[in-house]
Amino acid sequence: MADVDQTDSIEMERRGQLVRRGSLRWVHWVVVLLSVLLTLGIWYFSKNQVVQKNQEKFDRQVDQVIGLVEERMHLYENALSSGVAFIDANGGETNYEQWLAYANSLRIDQVYPGINGIGVIYNIAPDQLESYLARERASRPNYRIHPEHDKAEYWPITYIEPAGPNAKAVGLDMAFEENRYTAVKKARDTGGAQMTGPIVLVQDAKKTPGFLFYTPFYRDGKKPETVDARQANIIGVTYAPFIMSKLMLGTLASEKRQVRVRISDKDAVLYDDNDQEIGVLNIRDMSPLFTKVVDVEMYGRIWHFDIETSQGFRNNSSIEQPFWILIGGLMMNALLLGVFILLTRANRSALDYADEMTLALKEKSERLMKTNHDLEQFAYVASHDLKAPLNSINQVISWIEEDCDDILPEKSREHIDMVKNRCQRMMTLLKDLLEYSRVGRFEYSNEPVSLQKMATDIMFLHGTDQNFICEAPDVSIDIPRMPLDIVLRNLISNTIKHHDQDSGVIKVTYTEQSDGHSFRIEDDGPGIPDDLHDKALQMFQTLQPRDKVEGSGMGLAMVKKIVEHHKGTFELEKGRERGTCCIIFWPFE
Amino acid sequence: MKADTREVTLLLVEDDDIDAASIERSFLKQRIGNSIVRAHDGIEALELLKNGAITYPFMILLDLQMPRMNGLEFLTKLREDSELHDTIVFVLTTSKSDQDIVESYHKKVAGYFVKEEAGVNFIDVVHMFENYWRVLHVPTEPRPV
Repeated sequence: MADVDQTDSIEMERRGQLVRRGSLRWVHWVVVLLSVLLTLGIWYFSKNQVVQKNQEKFDRQVDQVIGLVEERMHLYENALSSGVAFIDANGGETNYEQWLAYANSLRIDQVYPGINGIGVIYNIAPDQLESYLARERASRPNYRIHPEHDKAEYWPITYIEPAGPNAKAVGLDMAFEENRYTAVKKARDTGGAQMTGPIVLVQDAKKTPGFLFYTPFYRDGKKPETVDARQANIIGVTYAPFIMSKLMLGTLASEKRQVRVRISDKDAVLYDDNDQEIGVLNIRDMSPLFTKVVDVEMYGRIWHFDIETSQGFRNNSSIEQPFWILIGGLMMNALLLGVFILLTRANRSALDYADEMTLALKEKSERLMKTNHDLEQFAYVASHDLKAPLNSINQVISWIEEDCDDILPEKSREHIDMVKNRCQRMMTLLKDLLEYSRVGRFEYSNEPVSLQKMATDIMFLHGTDQNFICEAPDVSIDIPRMPLDIVLRNLISNTIKHHDQDSGVIKVTYTEQSDGHSFRIEDDGPGIPDDLHDKALQMFQTLQPRDKVEGSGMGLAMVKKIVEHHKGTFELEKGRERGTCCIIFWPFE
Repeated sequence: MKADTREVTLLLVEDDDIDAASIERSFLKQRIGNSIVRAHDGIEALELLKNGAITYPFMILLDLQMPRMNGLEFLTKLREDSELHDTIVFVLTTSKSDQDIVESYHKKVAGYFVKEEAGVNFIDVVHMFENYWRVLHVPTEPRPV
């Protein structure tokens, strides 16, 4: 029983392992968790990388935009400075024709895109006004200064080229308006290029923001060292008007950049990409990836750059790459989990199937066991109940024999003997059958058995013939006594019964093997032909007529059944000329 | 007062004719003069007893496996009966089952014999009765008046 329990517990443990494999265990979750963590790690890393890359790109583009604007303003400063140089070289004087020639030679529309024109503004004191007007009206009779104001000096735009688009500006006095006036005075005082704050140019019909850019020139073509000297010796300024949007269009090719720019001066907006019609690639991103604010000193003004990334930047940013990495990774994790689930499910269904099969087998074997049991029960009951009427027949026949002793003819006596003989034979048969059916009805435990003594007892009980000898080794073995006794008794009685001589020797040999007992029971009788061995082991088979040798035909079948019931093997040795040799292997336990 | 045990009647309750014949035969063979009354089952035996067909003194040799009313059922009825409850009963049966033996003695049988151990024609049981009756004392009347 202990063995059975142990086997059961091992079975249960193995089954338990399978059951555990039938559901997700911590190791699966750990693998999935690690994989998810790895995915998140890669996602985080790549996201950082992309953000860093984009930040650098944005910074570069911001620098580029500001750089371009600054560069362009330098170019215009140069243009104005060269105008100053031209006037200086001309001894601080110029007239309409000269300026026209000079401006034309600059090829403004080609060399300085974004500039509206280039002109000259003179600083006129009230007492000089008459002579100034007279001089200018000499070449342009309609020339006049406008609008009127109450300042003590005049800064009229005298020349501006190209004249056509700037006609409205000719004669405009800078002193009329604070922005223009302040900047021009500042240019005079500093001696360097200066910008006005945001203004609306008179020549701009659209009234968009713009500014003026002044560069001063002084008497004798020299720039004085001190502010006072500058104020005393100022002649005028060269100037250029800018319409901001035009300037920026010439400066920043919007198709190429992926940032949007807004430039303001104090609170006034100078330029805003949002007000422009621009390329599709650079449409506004309502939630820009990056924004930056830069203040740039620009010829006396502080320009405030608001720069943000556009839709185009976003499209080229690979900003979605980490997202797709994350999605892809998570999908792979999900697949991994799916594979685990499928595997465990397969395990589980295999286990279910095995359980089903086990159950079916169990039912089958239970049915089989019941059938076997019923058969044994039947054989037992049948042989038992058959004995009673047989006894009765035997009894009644003997009464007849007794009662009719005097009158029975000899022939009837013989018949009565035949009936009694058949009764006896059937009794034997029933007894053997009963014994056969009892094999397995009882379990016997091991006890020490002396082989020699057992053989002697059997020979003694058999009794009929003293001419037969049974040789058995003097060993004591641990074996169930009753079954072994039945086996030996049947084999010995078989030998004597079937022997063709009046005397014979039965030799029992025994060897103990590692896993069981091994017996050889050998006789010197006629033996059984090899081809009849199988038949000899069947129930109710006799190899000789019943009337010649009494026997139920159960002997060897019973021996075989007993040995096999104890998980042993029983066979007849083949290839013998004479004698039968039974080989029995009887395992321990 | 000692009743003459030669007068003890044996009520044989046995469904098997041959077994019954065996007993009768052995009685004859041993020249035992006591009369034997045969009943085939418990019901018939009870009827015989109630009808007064069995003269006192008597005892019963009872088989267990019988049709209609078996031996144990008969014993129960017998022990419940106010007049018959102290009847001496022996059991002669094929059953060796412990349960039958225990049950029988529980119902106060005087002895339990197994048929196959009782000798040819149950001669051993017959010998037992022969000797038993020779030295037996029973009351002259079934019940003190």
